[in-house]
Amino acid sequence: MTATTLPQTPTSKIPPSQHPFAEVIHRLEAGGSMLPDTPENLMQIIGIYKAYAVPMDFYWRDLLYIAEQVFLDPFPFFKYFIPKEYLDRHNHYAGDDADLRIWRGEATAHPELLAFMEKGEVNRQLPKLFHHLWHDRVNMEFAEACMRAMLWHRHMYAPVNQFDAYLDSEEYKANCDRAIRAYFRKNPVMLGLYKVFPEMFIEKVRELSYYSNLGLFWEVMAPVFFEMSDIYDEGGFKGVPDAMNFLVNGIFAIAGRPIYHHLYVDGECYEIIPKSKGFTWLYEAALPYVEAVFYRTAPFRGTKSYNAQAGQVPEDQKDFHYGILYADVFPVGTAGIPPTLLMQDMLHFLPPYLQDYYKHHARGNDDVLIQLGITFQRSMYNVTSAVIQALRTALLYPLDDPNPKHLMANRKFFEAQMDRFLRPEARLRDIQSQNYR
Amino acid sequence: MPDIVDIAVSTEGFSTLVAAVKAADLVDVLKSDGPFTVFAPTDDAFAKLPPGTIQTLVQNPPQLARILTYHVVPGKLMRSDLVGKDHLVSVEGSTIRLDLSDNFEVKNATVVMPDVEADNGVIHVIDNVILMG
Amino acid sequence: MLSILIWLPIIGALIIGFLPQSLSTKQVRRSALWLSGGLLLWTLWLASRFDLTNPGLQMQEYLPWIESLGLNYRLGIDGLALVLLLLNALLTWIAVFSSREDTARPRLFYALVLLVSGGVAGAFMAQNLLLFFLFYELELVPFYLLISIWGGTQRGYAAVKFLIYTAVSGALILAAFLGLVWLTGSSTFAYSALMGHPLPIEVQFLLLGALLVGFGIKIPLVPFHTWLPDTYVAASAPVALLLGGVLAKLGAYGIFRFGMGLFPDAWAALAPWLATWAAVSVLYGAMAAIAQKDIKRMVAYSSVGHMGYILLAGASMTALSFVGAVSQMAAHGLILAILFHLVGLVELKVGTRDLNVLNGLLNPIRGLPTISALLVLGGMASAGIPGLAGFVAEFLIFQGSYAVFPIQTLLCVVGTGLTAVYFVILLNRTCFGKLDNAIAYFPKVEWSERTPALVLAWLIFFLGIQPTWLVRWSEATATNLIASISTETVATTVVESQEIAPNP
Repeated sequence: MTATTLPQTPTSKIPPSQHPFAEVIHRLEAGGSMLPDTPENLMQIIGIYKAYAVPMDFYWRDLLYIAEQVFLDPFPFFKYFIPKEYLDRHNHYAGDDADLRIWRGEATAHPELLAFMEKGEVNRQLPKLFHHLWHDRVNMEFAEACMRAMLWHRHMYAPVNQFDAYLDSEEYKANCDRAIRAYFRKNPVMLGLYKVFPEMFIEKVRELSYYSNLGLFWEVMAPVFFEMSDIYDEGGFKGVPDAMNFLVNGIFAIAGRPIYHHLYVDGECYEIIPKSKGFTWLYEAALPYVEAVFYRTAPFRGTKSYNAQAGQVPEDQKDFHYGILYADVFPVGTAGIPPTLLMQDMLHFLPPYLQDYYKHHARGNDDVLIQLGITFQRSMYNVTSAVIQALRTALLYPLDDPNPKHLMANRKFFEAQMDRFLRPEARLRDIQSQNYR
Repeated sequence: MPDIVDIAVSTEGFSTLVAAVKAADLVDVLKSDGPFTVFAPTDDAFAKLPPGTIQTLVQNPPQLARILTYHVVPGKLMRSDLVGKDHLVSVEGSTIRLDLSDNFEVKNATVVMPDVEADNGVIHVIDNVILMG
Repeated sequence: MLSILIWLPIIGALIIGFLPQSLSTKQVRRSALWLSGGLLLWTLWLASRFDLTNPGLQMQEYLPWIESLGLNYRLGIDGLALVLLLLNALLTWIAVFSSREDTARPRLFYALVLLVSGGVAGAFMAQNLLLFFLFYELELVPFYLLISIWGGTQRGYAAVKFLIYTAVSGALILAAFLGLVWLTGSSTFAYSALMGHPLPIEVQFLLLGALLVGFGIKIPLVPFHTWLPDTYVAASAPVALLLGGVLAKLGAYGIFRFGMGLFPDAWAALAPWLATWAAVSVLYGAMAAIAQKDIKRMVAYSSVGHMGYILLAGASMTALSFVGAVSQMAAHGLILAILFHLVGLVELKVGTRDLNVLNGLLNPIRGLPTISALLVLGGMASAGIPGLAGFVAEFLIFQGSYAVFPIQTLLCVVGTGLTAVYFVILLNRTCFGKLDNAIAYFPKVEWSERTPALVLAWLIFFLGIQPTWLVRWSEATATNLIASISTETVATTVVESQEIAPNP
C-alpha cells in the first residue's frame, strides 16, 4: 500500500494560499490530513475506528438482512434479531476466502460483537428479547438514521451517482413489482393493499434499496477499520497521514465493488437492483454517504429548536450542515438522538488505551460519551480528508506535479472543499486543538 | 486498416487495457463499426492506481465496463476536431473535461500520443486512467 | 434536655476549634458533620416527645442566674419554637454538609458554624428577654467572621455592613426590652412576667416600633434590607444558607414572640399598616429580583419578598394565618437553603453567576443535569407550585389573611406570580438553551455535593404532599396564642372605652 504515499514537500511553485484555512490547505498540499498530525490524535482516531468497526459489523449484516429478508414485512418486530446465517456470512474483504483481503482477521461476525450480543452491558445471559427490550443491544436505529439521511438527501453527486436516478426508472419499478408480488404471494391482504397503493410500496422498497446500499458500503469499512487498528497495535502507523493514506488506498481498492439490492423469497433471488447495472461502491455508496452523513443529515429532534420561517434551516437541502463534521457533540446523552446511540454503541468496544485516556480527561467516566463523540468527530475529519485526497488523486493531479497550473488546480479544489467549513458550526477550527474534548 | 482492439493488442504497453477490455466483455463493441474515439491509458497509467483497484474491477465486469466506457466517446474525433471544445460526453454518460490550451489534456491525463487512427475510430494514448466525477 | 441544643454545639465548637493541627480538613469536617448530625437527631427526638395538644411551654428548664439584673436561665418551647429549632438543626447539618471539603481554616469555620447554631437555638428557646438578647447577639460575631473570612470578592464591605446593621438592630431591641422592663416596673426580664402588663398605647407604639425596626432589619423588611443582597452574595454558600434559612427566621420569630406577644394592642392597631408594609416588601422584593443579572442576588431578593408573607400573616392575627406563618418560616428556610446551595454549586462549577453567561445547564452529560433539575424544583417550590412545601405555607397565609386584609393579601398573591416570573427567567437562562461549547468544561459534581440538595428536595416534596407534617407542630400554639391575644385586646379596648366614657 505505497502507491499513493504522498510526498511531504510543500509546494513552493505557487504562492501561499490566502484562505482562512490556509494552514490546513498547505497541510493537505503536503499530503497531510485536516487533523493535525500528533501521536495523541493518531491514538484517538485509531482507537475509535476500532470501537466503531465492531458495531458496524452488526450494522452491515443487519442492514443486508433487512434489505434481503425482512423486506416489506408489515410487522418487523424482529428485524434487529440477526439470524445466524447473517452473522456467519463471510465479509468479502476479510478472511481466507475474501475477494480482496483487507483485514487479516476472520470473515464472520467479530468475536467482541458476539460476546456483547450474548451478555450485553448487564453482563448476564438472558433471553434475547430481554436484552432487546432493555435496550441492552447494538443500536441499529443509528444505522437506520444514516440510511434515512441518504434516502432523504437523494440526487447527491448526480449525474455521476446513477443509483438514485435508477430508483425512479421504469425498469426499477418493474423489478419492484416482481419482487413485491413474489414476497406477498401468500398474503392477499398486503397484495390487495399493493394494488391500491403501489407507489407507497415502491417508495418503501426504495428505502430498502438504501438499506442494501449502506450495508454494502459498511461491509467494506468494518474490515478497513479493523485492519487499521491491528496495524496500529503492531506499531505500523507513524502518524495521522499514514492512517489517512491507508484509507485513500482502501477507497481506491474497493472503488469498483458492485452496489446492488437482492431480495430472497424462499431461497429464490429477485434482483431489484442487479449487479449488472454497474453501480460502484465509490460513486453510488461512499460519496453519497459522506455527503449525506458527514456533511448534511438533518437537525436531530430534541437537541435544539430551529425556526425554518426565520431562515434558521437552509432553504436548499444541499446547504444542510448537521453532519458529524458540524455537529455540536455536547448534547450527546440526550435520549434517543442518533449520535447518542452511536456513542453508546462505541462505548462498549473501546480499546483499553482509549478507556484509560478518557478516564484522565474532563469528567472522566462521567462524560466519556461526549469525549468519545469528539474523538469520533476528529476521526471523521480524517476520513473526510482521505476522501478529499482520494478525489484529488482520481480527478486532479499528484501533489508533486511539476506543472504549476496543475498545482493551482489542486489548490482550487482544496480551497473549495475548505469553503464548506467556513460556516461557524464547522468543527474544523476546534479539532486543530487538543483542548477540544 | 486494423480496428481499435487490433491496434491495442498489437501495440506494446497496452496489455492491461486489453485484458480489461476482455474482462469487461467489450471486445465486440470496440470491434463494431463505431466510430469511436478511445482515450487509451497505458500500462504505466494503470500501474499508478493503488493496489487492489484493478483486482476489484476485474472481479466485477459490469463495474469495470463502466470505467472503461468512460474512456470512450462516440464519433471519430481527431485532435484538430477537439480544438475549442472544453468537454465531451462519454459513452458512460459522464462528461470528460478537455484542455488543449498548452498540451492536449483530457481530464487529469495528458495525451502522450494523439491521433492513432483505426478502422472504426481513433485512439488517443493517455498517461492516466481517467475517472468520473 | 433543651440545654443540650445550646451547649452541645457550643462545647462542640470549642472542641473542633482546638482539634490538633495534624487532622486533615476532611477529618475536621467529618467531626462537625457528626456533631451537627447528633444535634439534628436530638432535636428530632425532642420533637417526638413534644405534646402536640399542649399549646403552652413544654420541657421547661430553669436556673437562677443573675437575679439582681432580672436575668435567669429559663428555657422552654412551644409549637413556634419547635419548628424553628428543627429547621435550625437541619440547616446546620446541611450547611456543614454543603461546605467544601477543602475549606480553608476548617477548625475556625466549623467552630463558628456550630456557635451560630447554638446561639440561634438558645434564642429560640429563651424565655427571658435578656437571655434572648444574649443569644441573639451571640451569633452576630461568628456570622461577621464567617462572611469576612470565607466570603466572596466583596466580603470585607459586606461583613462590615452586616455588622453595622445587626448591631443597630440589637441596640434597638435591647432598648425596647429595657424600656419595657422599666416602664412596667418589673423586677425581672422573664417573658411570662412581662406578658399582660397593660401599658399606655403610645408607649406600646414606641416600644413596638423599636422592636419592629430592630427585627425588621434582621428579617429583613423594606427599607431595612439593603445589607441583605450584599451580605448574601458575598457569603459562601453554606453561610448564605444559614443567613437566609435561619437568621432571617430569628427576626420573624422575634417579631412574633415579642412584638405581637408583648404589645398585642399596639400590634392590633398597627396591623393594617403592617399588612401594607408586608405587601410593599413582597412586591419590592419580587420587582428587584426580576431586575437582577446575578442569580445569587436574585435568590437573595426573593428572600426579601417571601419574608413579607410572614409579616402579612402576623398582621392578620388569625389562627390559620399564624399556622401559615410558622409553616412559611420552615418552608422558606428549606427552599432558600436548597436554592442557595444549588446556586453556590453552579457558581463553583461554572465559575459565574451571570445570567448572561449561564446557559444550557440541563445538558445531560456536560451540563449539570441533576443540579439544574433540582434548581427547577426549588424555583417551583419558591413560586408556590402545588405539591411542594411553599404552596402549603403560602396558601394558609393567604387563606387566613384574605378575610382581614383582602387588598394587601391580593397584592401579596401578585407577588407570588412575580416569583414565578423571575424564576422562569432564572431557569430559562441558566438551565435551558444550548450549552456553550467554549465554556462547558465544568468539573464533576460529586455525590456529596448533591446529597444536601436531594435531602432538602425530598423534604420540600414530602411536606408539599403531606402538609400535616408542616402544620401540626404549631396548630395548638397558634390557636392558643391568637385566642389569648384577641381576648387581651378586647379586654383592654373595653377598659379604654370605660375610661373614655366618663369624659366625653
